[in-house]
Amino acid sequence: MSVKKLSKESLLNWVDEIISTKKKVYGVQKHKDKTDRFEFAPLDSTADLRLDYDVTVLPPKKYFQPPTETLVAFDLKGGYKAACDTEKFIVIGIHPYDMIAINQMDELFQKDNYDSHYMTRRNNATIIACDVATASKDIFASSMKTATVKKGYDILLTDIGNGYVAEAATKKGQLLLDKAKTEKASDADIKARQAVWENNEKNLNKHPLNCQPSEVSELLEKAYNHPVWEEKAKTCFSCGSCNQVCPTCYCFNVHDDMNWDLKSGDRKRTWDGCLLDGFTKVAPDHEFRAKKSDRFRHRLYRKGKYVPSKIGGQIACVGCGRCIGACLPDIANPVKVYNRLLEDTSAVKK
Amino acid sequence: MNKPRVAVFDFACCEGCQLQIVNLEEQILDLIGAVNVVEWREAMSEQSHEYDIAIIEGSITRPEDEEKLWLIRSRAKILIALGACATLGGINKLKNNFDLNDVKKCVYGKDASKPHLYTELTKAVDEVVEVDYKIHGCPIEAKEFISIIRSLLIGKKPEIPEYPVCVECKAKGNPCLWEYGQLCLGPIIRAGCNARCPSAGHRCYGCRGYINKPNVEAAKDVIEKYGLSVEDLKSKMVLFGSRQDNTL
Amino acid sequence: MCECCGQDKDIYLPQLATVNKARMMNGTELYLNLSMDAEPLDYKPGQFVEVSIPGFGEAPISISSSPTQKGYFELVVRKIGNVTSMIHKLKIGDKIGIRGPFGNGCYPIEEAKGKNLVFICGGIGLVPQRSFINYVLDNRSDYGNITVLLGTKCHTQRFFHSELRQWSQRSDIRLLETVDEKDDCWQGNVGVVTTLIPKIESELGSAFTFICGPPVMYKFVIMALAEENVSRDRIFVNLERKMKCGVGKCGHCQINNFYVCVDGPVFRCSELAVAPEAI
Repeated sequence: MSVKKLSKESLLNWVDEIISTKKKVYGVQKHKDKTDRFEFAPLDSTADLRLDYDVTVLPPKKYFQPPTETLVAFDLKGGYKAACDTEKFIVIGIHPYDMIAINQMDELFQKDNYDSHYMTRRNNATIIACDVATASKDIFASSMKTATVKKGYDILLTDIGNGYVAEAATKKGQLLLDKAKTEKASDADIKARQAVWENNEKNLNKHPLNCQPSEVSELLEKAYNHPVWEEKAKTCFSCGSCNQVCPTCYCFNVHDDMNWDLKSGDRKRTWDGCLLDGFTKVAPDHEFRAKKSDRFRHRLYRKGKYVPSKIGGQIACVGCGRCIGACLPDIANPVKVYNRLLEDTSAVKK
Repeated sequence: MNKPRVAVFDFACCEGCQLQIVNLEEQILDLIGAVNVVEWREAMSEQSHEYDIAIIEGSITRPEDEEKLWLIRSRAKILIALGACATLGGINKLKNNFDLNDVKKCVYGKDASKPHLYTELTKAVDEVVEVDYKIHGCPIEAKEFISIIRSLLIGKKPEIPEYPVCVECKAKGNPCLWEYGQLCLGPIIRAGCNARCPSAGHRCYGCRGYINKPNVEAAKDVIEKYGLSVEDLKSKMVLFGSRQDNTL
Repeated sequence: MCECCGQDKDIYLPQLATVNKARMMNGTELYLNLSMDAEPLDYKPGQFVEVSIPGFGEAPISISSSPTQKGYFELVVRKIGNVTSMIHKLKIGDKIGIRGPFGNGCYPIEEAKGKNLVFICGGIGLVPQRSFINYVLDNRSDYGNITVLLGTKCHTQRFFHSELRQWSQRSDIRLLETVDEKDDCWQGNVGVVTTLIPKIESELGSAFTFICGPPVMYKFVIMALAEENVSRDRIFVNLERKMKCGVGKCGHCQINNFYVCVDGPVFRCSELAVAPEAI
């Protein structure tokens, strides 16, 4: 596949064309209510696209696993019918850390039992990723080695100041990029892109992790009974905000909605969160993970140990920092906990 | 299947929750098709003493209302408290924070002592009779009302959220209002409203009541972090939180 | 094959089954005998299915029959929530949605060959154990002695009465029962299930033991077995957790690094050393 250069103007023209030809295009833009924040939303006008954004309130996972989606339609007479969302769509502006989160979800939703609902959406998506141009206040992607990304996207855009370097990674991406007015990327352009990458790999690091992300799993091995879980969870609201905004949280609840005919309806899945009281509750009244501190620990073990063991050792925290901003009592920061454990190895009880 | 007979009663309230039902528009026809409404002052003139489901709107402020409610309870198989006045005592309960005579004088002036204006401390419906299900909110959320009614119609115990408003607020992609200087009660208030107020830029006022285990320690920690006092938080909670346990 | 996405199988789509038999076994337990309408259920002892009631949802239910019985499968359902209450209303001939069978952690059919087997059951913990017990009885010569310890809260909550009677009359399986609450109608042992363990000391030497019962039971049974020097790699536990998807996605049944739905529900106790949340 090819590496091209687009001037800023031809990028805008290209996005214009994408909006005019495709049915569904989502892009990063100012948050509709709070204009100092950003969100992924339907892109109606190229002028709204903000590839210089820092971080979006919600990750783009909402396009692959929506907050609520119908899995199965049922009818007391006709039985069950699978629901299927077949609309093709384009997402513009996914940052590398979010792209890596999607790559992880792809693996998890395909593994063991193939989740056709997630995967259909994923396969229907064309992703135009872009390298980070502005660091958000809580980003620590450099620590998690997620500041740059090498796969998953169809096209990767990198702002090199005097234009964008655009690299198509798939046939789908190439076809789309062919519609843009491009020139061949020069050696200087490629070098400039490399400089952006090197800078991001070093400097997207507001909360530096004091070890390699691959070492977290081993660190947690010895930290199960560390006092930090109780200490932090003391002020946990069990509100699940950290789960809801996390690009790698994918746990869900399933519930049935009956229509007014009381004969047909939908079985839906909705986002759930392991921090919520009741997440492990069974009828009539037994809760397996009833303690706040156990739920708090579970999340950080999932990110640092459990999920990594399913996806070849990659840490399942991509360093976007959203949980840090979403947590009112400010206890969600994974780096703070992991660093604390590193410092406290002497206090660690096996 | 016989359609269940439903009666709707109102006590001390603004009738706004009933209005939410009337405002269901085309779905009101579905509702009326699925149940047999035998009494509903706001929408019809008939009355009945025989019903399966009694829906109670409003709080209880007078002895004769208590007696009426006992009678309704004895007749109903299922009793539902509808809206914050019925589930919590609602805004009416604000008066319980003051001397009752002062309250009466403030509202009715020189007429305060007239017998037909007699009033006692406000009670939520479950302070008077046993309540089977609570449909929370001020006003109620139409979608949740529909879902609960449909559940009851098929004999299913309705699923009423135990988790806080933040869950729904975050899923909608709202930035946290605390970051914009608002003392939002979302983290300690029961969800189910689809974060109606925060999504419109207003803090959560707490109309759905506290979750089962609100973390009071965390609340204190956060108000301190934002340079506020417990009194500030209390003042925000008084609107709907006048009786509830777990207060600060 | 799905017309729109081209996938062979939707992991969330229930398949229809027909109720062949439905009867109450005591005040709370319903026995169901079902057959899949299309493909027969190809399952192993220890696996479970998600039973689906439109409008109510799904409930994970252990398969109680042995796969040696062809053409049908059996479930035992306790009325405990929204879905199970509706399952209790099913009648012969009714259609019901089934997903599964699920669970890669099954009873160790091969490894247990030639070994003595001890099943320790608390209440409806008998239900999934029965699948393997009957499998062993149908392949009797492959296995050593079989001992079943069954503890029930009170005698009115016993079920599979005639099958228990048959077991107690057979010479190639030993059944010991106890009830927690004594009353005049019960002549047998009284006490929790662990009180039966010293009675079968001689069986425990090299036996594989299988535990299934209410959450509180496991710790005490494992402690009692430890006193008899039964090593944890010969203890298998059949665990229950909240489940929604049954296919390792929704996260509810996770016990540390394990998903009960895909890694269990039967676990070797020694493998749970890394999962403090398990027992």
